[in-house]
Amino acid sequence: MGNIKNLVTRFDTYVRTHKPEQLVTPPLIVLALALIVLGGMYAVTGSPVRLGFQFEGGTIVELAALDSNDDDLRLAFADYPLLSVRNSGNRRMLKFGPMEDDIEKSLVEKVNTEYEYATPEIKQADPVYAKALQGQAIKAIIASFCLMAIVVFLIFRTFVPSVAVVLSAFSDIVIATAFIAILGIELSFGTVAALLMLIGYSVDSDILLTTRLLKRRGNLDDKVTSAMTTGLTMTGTTLAALLMMYFVSTYSYLIIPSFPQISIISDISAVLIFGLAADLMNTWLLNTGILKWHLSKPRGRRA
Amino acid sequence: MKLHKDIRVIIFIAAMLISLIAIHPAYNSHDGGFSSDLQYGLDLEGGTSLQLKLEGAIAGVKVDPAQIIEKKYSDAFGDIEIIEATDDEVIFRTTEPLKKDDVDAVGYGNAYVDGSEVTLTINKEYVIGEYLSEQLDCEVLYLGSDMYEIRSAVSESELSDALSDVSGSIATDAKGNLEFTETVTKETQETTEAILSEKLNIWGLKDVPITPVEENILLVDLAGVDLDTAMEIVATPGKFEIRIQTVENATEHVVWGEHITAVDMPRVRDGAWGVGFTVDGTGANAIRDAAVESGAVSDVAAHELIMLLDDEVIFSAPLDPELAENLQELYDKDQNVPSYSFVATTGTGDVGRENVEQLYIHLRAGALPVEVDVIGSWQVPAALGDQFRKQTILAGILALLMVAFVIFRRYRQKNILLPMVATSVSEVFMILGFASLIGWQLDLPAIAGIIAVIGTGIDHLVIITDEVLYEGRMPSRKVYLSRIARAFAIIFAAAATTIIAMSPLLFMGFGALKGFAITTIVGVLIGVLIARPVYGRVIRELLE
Repeated sequence: MGNIKNLVTRFDTYVRTHKPEQLVTPPLIVLALALIVLGGMYAVTGSPVRLGFQFEGGTIVELAALDSNDDDLRLAFADYPLLSVRNSGNRRMLKFGPMEDDIEKSLVEKVNTEYEYATPEIKQADPVYAKALQGQAIKAIIASFCLMAIVVFLIFRTFVPSVAVVLSAFSDIVIATAFIAILGIELSFGTVAALLMLIGYSVDSDILLTTRLLKRRGNLDDKVTSAMTTGLTMTGTTLAALLMMYFVSTYSYLIIPSFPQISIISDISAVLIFGLAADLMNTWLLNTGILKWHLSKPRGRRA
Repeated sequence: MKLHKDIRVIIFIAAMLISLIAIHPAYNSHDGGFSSDLQYGLDLEGGTSLQLKLEGAIAGVKVDPAQIIEKKYSDAFGDIEIIEATDDEVIFRTTEPLKKDDVDAVGYGNAYVDGSEVTLTINKEYVIGEYLSEQLDCEVLYLGSDMYEIRSAVSESELSDALSDVSGSIATDAKGNLEFTETVTKETQETTEAILSEKLNIWGLKDVPITPVEENILLVDLAGVDLDTAMEIVATPGKFEIRIQTVENATEHVVWGEHITAVDMPRVRDGAWGVGFTVDGTGANAIRDAAVESGAVSDVAAHELIMLLDDEVIFSAPLDPELAENLQELYDKDQNVPSYSFVATTGTGDVGRENVEQLYIHLRAGALPVEVDVIGSWQVPAALGDQFRKQTILAGILALLMVAFVIFRRYRQKNILLPMVATSVSEVFMILGFASLIGWQLDLPAIAGIIAVIGTGIDHLVIITDEVLYEGRMPSRKVYLSRIARAFAIIFAAAATTIIAMSPLLFMGFGALKGFAITTIVGVLIGVLIARPVYGRVIRELLE
């Protein structure tokens, strides 16, 4: 069973040899750090993460214009509110601020006639509507999280185990969001979708762990070990799929130059990779720690 | 029980067959590629997707119709004095005696005139609607219980100003909030959708998917069309108007495009592209009156007939002198003009042809009831879409291989590896079959959803395997059954949370993410209900 077995053994030894309060400390520290990062970003920029054009408004033009350098492009689009030119894989991404309808129209015409050879991709979002979507995105994430929490409580019907699952899912999302903030990934439809996906994903291993620990008979540490073997295989397969998705959507142009980056898939996979990494820690230290503490209390005093 | 008699296996096989028929994969020797009935979204096929906001407002209005009558009739006849006013009747006195025709011409009610005393029979809702329509220069519809739909991009303060001129205001609800929403009614949204669809049909794009989102947004996906063309066809109201030149630089409204009954195919006449159309009787009479009253019949050159599309002049030319004479004659005899055909020319060459095509579409389908504002758009060239598609297929295959590799490292048994991978592939196949069956387009977010489902799917298969093989080998039948029940309890719980977590996306304004949410939910359901039960059955068969 190779690597997974080794990983399980090392994790397992750690869990067996540490007290519950020692287990939950590192994940809680990381959670606190992540909250500080997000709070800091919010205080400085007014938003915990960088907002992409879909939530801020503006126009993005992506061109396969390999022949022209950034200065040429800046010059060519001097009449428009060009904010930045950067590389997106082997394509050039031009970001424009909001503009009047007729200027927008002339920009689209210019791109489609002068750069037709460069397979132009044009994305545009109205700033007013985009800002309204920010609120919707936050609502979607909160609604999704609350619904998940309700389902978890309905499944387990006991307080401490349910709180442990919800807390560790919360921590997954906060840590993944902090990674988004630190790495400067922009909040897009893709990243929002990924955060929602993460809410669903992150509880899978927690449900497995909780069910195994609550409903099976036997030694507590042995049950943790068996749950861990299954859980790490699960996370391992998912991470493997996500890493592939990330590399193909982000870096395949290095091998096949004609392949563009697929930002939505790249974003979704990046966020899920961070989220699942956080989930490894939160499931096997935080959630396990809380459950060990809860189950080692005398029966009558359990909540 | 034999495997092939198991109800779960039968359902699975049936679902796979239905998917196969729905996807209808075929090898096409002609271009050496595979073809199928799967429909791809614009991002994988190339084209333009537009998000259109329908401009309008729904507002509660509190105003006394008598105030409107006072303002409007004072504007027309100097100071008037209201003697008595109800919601159905307003009696007022003017300084000078009036003629009934002149009073009726103001257009707010039917007048009974007795010298300088006028009794006006009115309809409250009509008066308010007509007033707002004049002030805001757009169509206004009464919706019942003092609510009006204003079919134009009007702001709260603009409406407030228009009402305060007649001592009215925007109504407030029980909580004291102003009853004003920037939106349109369901009917307006449906009408807009139908007219858009008709325009695209005439243009040669059949079955264009138009998806309503919320009350005032439409998503339109145009395969193989670039953004600038898409905006010209879809994002302009296509309001056609005929005006006549009165003096040098001034023009007067004659007739709207709704009086056009028949439109000919565009063709070249005398070297220029043109489209012929017929104006109905009402429209033709309006042209007759305008031609005579403006003086066009006596001097055709000085009074050109002007055609406008969305307030831009597209064609301007003098009346045919023969027609002018004819119109004068009919006017003198007070005879109706039967109906009349015109030709609008739009110029020569490619520009002329492009313009004539647009004009033709707008003339035939008519104007949209409201203006539309493009609030989001995405243009993907076909070549790029093609690469996206290849790349996502590659990502999917590589992801599956990586997963298979991890599974093999863990179990080292092909009796587990093969059913697991086969189950996962079958789940993807059934999702695609479902997509094809309901004619739903696969786009990039949907494919991300499918890959995500592969991920959770494998997780669940691992749970089943580990639960069943708890001691490392296949247990007795009785233990197997209780173990499989426990495994499915975990899986169903996990599936429920995933579905629940995705559900907000179905009800929110992210058109782009609906595909992702639907795929994930459908994929999870297909997985837990159809594919995974069979996996549990098959590994027992293989490992016993």
